[in-house]
Amino acid sequence: MTPQEKPSNYSIQTRLIISFSMLLFVFLGLTGTVLDRAFRNSVEAGAAERLQVQVYLLLAAADVYNGEFYFLEDLREPRFSQLNSGLYGFISMAGLGELWRSDSALTFDLENPQFLRKSIDVGEAQFSKAASVEQEEYFILSYGILWEDGISKYNFTVVESATPYYSEISNFRKSLWSWLGGVAVLLLLMQAFLMRWGLLPLHRMARDLKQIESGDKNQLAENYPKELQGVTNNLNMLIETERKQQDRYRTTLGDLAHSLKTPLAVIAGIMQSLSRKPADVDKQLDAVNEQLTRMNQIVSYQLQRAVQSNGGLSLARQVQVQPLINKVTDALVKVYLDKGVKVHAQLDSDAVFFGDERDFLEVLGNILDNAFKYCDGQVAVTASSLVGSDRGLQITIEDDGPGISSEKREYVLQRGARADTLAQGQGIGLAVVTDIVASYGGAIEVNKSDLGGARVSLQFDFRRTES
Amino acid sequence: MRLLVVEDESRLREQLAQGLSKQGYVVDVAEDGKTGLYYATEYDFDAAIIDIGLPEIDGISLIQQMRVDGKEYPVLILTARGDWQDKVAGLDAGADDYVVKPFQLEEIIARLNALLRRAAGFAKPKLEFGRLSLDITTKRLLLDEKSIDLTAYEYKMLEYLMLHPGQVISKTELTEHLYAQDYDRDSNVLEVFVRRLRQKLDPEQTLKPIETVRGQGYRFVLEES
Repeated sequence: MTPQEKPSNYSIQTRLIISFSMLLFVFLGLTGTVLDRAFRNSVEAGAAERLQVQVYLLLAAADVYNGEFYFLEDLREPRFSQLNSGLYGFISMAGLGELWRSDSALTFDLENPQFLRKSIDVGEAQFSKAASVEQEEYFILSYGILWEDGISKYNFTVVESATPYYSEISNFRKSLWSWLGGVAVLLLLMQAFLMRWGLLPLHRMARDLKQIESGDKNQLAENYPKELQGVTNNLNMLIETERKQQDRYRTTLGDLAHSLKTPLAVIAGIMQSLSRKPADVDKQLDAVNEQLTRMNQIVSYQLQRAVQSNGGLSLARQVQVQPLINKVTDALVKVYLDKGVKVHAQLDSDAVFFGDERDFLEVLGNILDNAFKYCDGQVAVTASSLVGSDRGLQITIEDDGPGISSEKREYVLQRGARADTLAQGQGIGLAVVTDIVASYGGAIEVNKSDLGGARVSLQFDFRRTES
Repeated sequence: MRLLVVEDESRLREQLAQGLSKQGYVVDVAEDGKTGLYYATEYDFDAAIIDIGLPEIDGISLIQQMRVDGKEYPVLILTARGDWQDKVAGLDAGADDYVVKPFQLEEIIARLNALLRRAAGFAKPKLEFGRLSLDITTKRLLLDEKSIDLTAYEYKMLEYLMLHPGQVISKTELTEHLYAQDYDRDSNVLEVFVRRLRQKLDPEQTLKPIETVRGQGYRFVLEES
């Protein structure tokens, strides 16, 4: 019994969960980030636009006299007049610095006061962010102006507190992520249910197999999803083979034990009579030998039966007929070298035996051996695919010997179910052949050959073994 | 004739060795494939009997290796399973015939004789050289159809010479193939046997079947008929 391998670390369920979750998090994460970024950009763009409007307001209301700025009209925006309103206006000149600041900016300063000395091109608006001395975030829009006199270049700057914008962003963020989180949880839950449903056939298969093990069922059901059909069909075939093999072992052992009893009894009887030291010791010993030969035959025959493969299992193999027949005839030519047998072989190169090589060799070996044994010097073999079947085989073996009389032909092919039925002196060879041919659903016929001797024809149609 | 028997089952190995020795063969035994290969390549045999199911190196591989090493003498395989897969595999690997266990010793001897005769190029069991004919199955020598009595060793020597007709066989080779290792022998013994054979085969000294090649050995010079 091979030691059970440790089950792979991750079950299919775990793998699916992990991969789906990873996918989910990556997707939702990316989406959330993208949305967040987009919203922030949108908010800032909005802020920039509003600040631009404020700059125009300032511009419209501003007037210069003797190098100083005056505002003739009230600034439309009240926040410019309210102290620490969060909206501050500045007018400055590059290099020179601040020329005017709104009332609201009385006690206001950015961390970096140099922002007022920056040089900005005429008509250019610069939008940036900076912190105040109190470490609060502000949006800054600076606009470069060429005054009516055509000479003076001024910077009009509006600074607005970023706090309300940021709180808008953070609210959005909270909403976004909680919704995405909710969606994630929902999807995970759905996934768990759907996966259960998806993997149900596997659970069902496991259950069915348990039932087969305990004997409640014989086979796996037919209605498994397409992907599992292959596996279940093969499993069913294996189960079937296993069962048939077990049956065969049981019958063979039974037959073996039963058929050995007779020769053993005979020998026992002979031993008894020998103990009385009769005159015909030699005859008695011959009789013992005869029984021993018989017992050997029986054992060999049952042994062959027990190890035969279950002919017709399509999990199997293909055997190339041409090279195999050549091998067997070469071997037999050697064994019967004294006879100098000539072999005429006509073998199709595409002839194939769909089954166990050992079985095929057993059939070929026995029939060819007989042909060589009884021939006068010529043996003919043909092999070809069966006409009318895409998976068939036809083989004929002929010899030029004395042949088999028509009465014997039927007898010779009888299935020796128990070797008691074998005649004295008859080898078990052909009985084995008949058994094997029958197990593959094939046909065997013995006739007279044109060469003068026997002609054995084999036909196999392997299609019936397709599942 | 000198035989190599490679069989792992000790009782069977003993039976074979004893039975074959009684028949006049010189038998060396090995109990596994590795030892078998060593003997097969080290010593000169006339034939080998090899069991297919051997430990160390299995029978099929042993035969293949022997053939690769240029050992051409006949090989008889023993198979317990008796299925054609084994038989064909053995013959394909280089064996010349098979015997299925359990077997009668007579069967082995008969097949061996046939193999030895075939290896020497004789198609039939009777080696015929004009007036002399030797039947190696019945171990009878006939001169002009009259049977001639030979002792066991006279027969062994004559059979060996007649199975290598026209070849010069050295005294050493004769000794190796006719006598078991531990036999205490005198090189003069061979000369005595040759003399006796000549007397029996060729009483009128007209045939001169066995030629002494000075300093080299003996040769059977009659022509096959």
